[in-house]
Order: sequence, then C-alpha cells, then structure tokens
Amino acid sequence: MILKWIGAVLVICCCGGFGFRMAAGFRIEESALQALERVLMFMHNELQYRLTPLPVLCKMAAGQCDGALRKAFYSFSEELETQIAPDASLCMTAALSRYPHLPPATKELMRQFGSTAGQFDLQGQLSEIEHLQNLCKHNLRQMSVNRDTRLRNYQTLGLCAGAALIILFI
Amino acid sequence: MKCAWQQLIAILPQWMRQDVDRQGRETLQELRLRRNSPPRLILKGGVRDLNRSILENDIVFILNAASAYSPWAAATMSQGYLTAAGGHRIGICGTAVVKLGQISGFQRPESLCIRVARDFPGVAAPLANVTGSILILGPPGSGKTTILRDLVRQISAVQKKQISVVDERSEIFPSYVQGFCFDTGSNVDILTGCGKAQGIEVLLRNMSPSVIATDEITAEEDCKALLHAGWCGVDLIATAHGGSLQDLYCRPVYKLLTENDLFDTIVVMRSDKTWKVERVNQ
Repeated sequence: MILKWIGAVLVICCCGGFGFRMAAGFRIEESALQALERVLMFMHNELQYRLTPLPVLCKMAAGQCDGALRKAFYSFSEELETQIAPDASLCMTAALSRYPHLPPATKELMRQFGSTAGQFDLQGQLSEIEHLQNLCKHNLRQMSVNRDTRLRNYQTLGLCAGAALIILFI
Repeated sequence: MKCAWQQLIAILPQWMRQDVDRQGRETLQELRLRRNSPPRLILKGGVRDLNRSILENDIVFILNAASAYSPWAAATMSQGYLTAAGGHRIGICGTAVVKLGQISGFQRPESLCIRVARDFPGVAAPLANVTGSILILGPPGSGKTTILRDLVRQISAVQKKQISVVDERSEIFPSYVQGFCFDTGSNVDILTGCGKAQGIEVLLRNMSPSVIATDEITAEEDCKALLHAGWCGVDLIATAHGGSLQDLYCRPVYKLLTENDLFDTIVVMRSDKTWKVERVNQ
C-alpha cells in the first residue's frame, strides 16, 4: 500500500512538474523575446548613429541583455571576429549550435537575423532589423493573449493529468 | 620595416593563408586575385602564382572579412575599393550596380587587387628639416603614402610642429580596435573616414594645426580646401599622381595649386621608389 502511495505522489510530482516546466518555458520565451526586441532596437539606433561594424555591434548587443541571449550574441561576435566562415549566416549557425537552450521562437529570430546580417547596405540592414522587431512584437502579442489563463492551465493540467493517471492505475 | 601582416593573412581564405605567408611575408607588394585563375603574388623580386584557382566564394569571403561582414562600414566599396584592417587597400572589379548615375556597389566582384601596406620608419629622414608646404608627386605604387607617413612623423619629431592628418581611406595611419597599426609620432592628430575637403575644414577650425597632411589630391574641391588652408597660414603636405613636374603643370585639376604656388618643395618619386627634391619657391 505504501508503495502505491509513493508511486502516486511520484506520478503527481512528475506530471505537475511537467506542467510547471511548460509554464516556466513560456515565461522564459516571453522574457527572451522582450530582451531580443530591446537589443534589436539598440542595434538599430547604434547602426544608424555610428555605422558600427557587425562584430562590435554584436558584442555591444551582448552587453545589453543577459542569459542565453547574451551568450548567443557574444558567441556570434566571436565567430565573426575569427573570420573562418565565408558569411555571417554560417557564423550565426555555429554560434547557435553552441547554445541549444535558447527558446525556440527566439532562436528562429536569431537565425533570421544571422541570415540577413552583413548582406545589405545600411538602409537594407536597418529594414531587416525593423522587420525582426515587428516579428518579435507579433510573437509577444500572440503570447500575451490569455496569458494568465494559459499559464494557469499548464500548471493545473499537469496536476490533473497526474491525478487522472493515479485514478487509472489504482 | 613594419607591416600589419597578420591582419592581411586573416582576410584571406584559409587554403591560401599558409602559402601567402610563406612566400610573401617580407616581399609581397600586391596580391592579384581573379575568379577562376590562380592567385598571383607580386613580390619585390618577381611574380609567383599559387597552384589553385580562386572561386567566387573566396572573393566573397575576402570582401566580407575585410569589411568585418559590414558593408555599411565599408562605404568606399562604391568607389571601387575598401581598406582592410592594417591599411591594406583592396581594389574591386566586377559587375557594378549603378543607382542614380553612381556606383552603389558590386553585384558580382570578379577580381581583387590587394596592395600590402608597409611602413618604413626613417625613410623620409632626409626631408625632416624641410620647411614650408611639400607636395609628393609620383606614379601609382611609387611609395608616396609611405614617404608621407614617415614625413609626418619626422616633421613632428624634428620640427616639433603640431600636425593634423586627413586620412580619408585610413591608409596613412590605419587603425584597428587597439589603436594605430603604425607609429603616429608625438604631435600628430588623425582624422579618418571623412573626405579631404571637409576634413581640412574641420581640422582648421578645431585642431589649430601648424601643418595639415593628406593623401592623393584627386578633385578640384580638395585643391580649393588646400588653397584655403594655405592662405590661413598652415603648411601642407600632400601627395598627387604624376610622373614628373610636367605632369603636375599639365593636369587641369592641379591648376589651382600650381598657379598659386602653394607648394614650396616638390618631392618627385620614381617607380623604383627613389626620389629627388625640387625646390619650387626659394
């Protein structure tokens, strides 16, 4: 009997943990997108004012954020400085492969940034950054719809799923 | 002799680096790269070809590396060249993109000419005591910029004059993140990246120089700016293209300078990098 109860607690913890982890992932993604939007704004202004070269710009961008995004920008800047890859897109791929824990939507936007970085003149580059900013905003808007309900659902669904499993097994 | 050699090697594709480093470290003057042809090394004592052909990707790599993947920071590409870290100038040829009657970039670069920037401290020592305005005249590749660079240092050290340099192409005193690649001398201010005419005006107003130095006078507005500075009591050091004094007097663009006797001394460079000094105004 004791073993059954221990098993039940473990199942509830696992399912509940999964739900809480999903909710935490949602919050991490949201804050990463907000940080990326701020960084893109910074890059836009910095480029417009000082025409900063890409490796320096990315190093400065790394200083404007923290966590995985900071590491990704810093790594991208290092890749550009070592001058091994023929274009910035490959540098970004290499940089992102070093940090697989970046949230998926942020990672996709970073990949898009890499594929357009250093390809155009100033106006083209600024337009691309603006486009990415808009995508960031769009993603954030979508995430903000029923945000609280969604977060609560992740957590309660996890716990409920655990409870349902226990009822089934017992 | 000093050269920002590592900066040059770093902009080349990896397969080429070792060969160029081994064969050209001391004597390389130019590196000519044409699509589907082997790279040609123009050395001090001859010419050598490497045994692999240049591909389009290699040219793209060099342009990306030289501009630090930032076409906006290498605005001079529209003028057919860009200056890599270390002052090495890269001339570009290929299919140009023209907007509003002006070249805005290159759709497909076909060939590159990389000129290696080398510094020879002391090469202009015999000119260190020359006073007044100096024009360095010579054909392309005769060492005008090298002489100008050292002349700036010599005059700042020997005559203790305050010298300001307009370095439009970042070739006289190339800079990188940590500072300048070559010794700049003790009394020298350097304005990089802006046009000569505009730069001369800025320096005159803000830096109160005794001497203004600039490289390659090519346009009439440069001549007007130099003349204006000369009339303000500032000595000038400049370089110009020309094989002899006669070339200088024949070219219409220099008419303004020759008619007004702006320069007191003209240093005429030869292709073998020797020179002779002509005193114009006694």
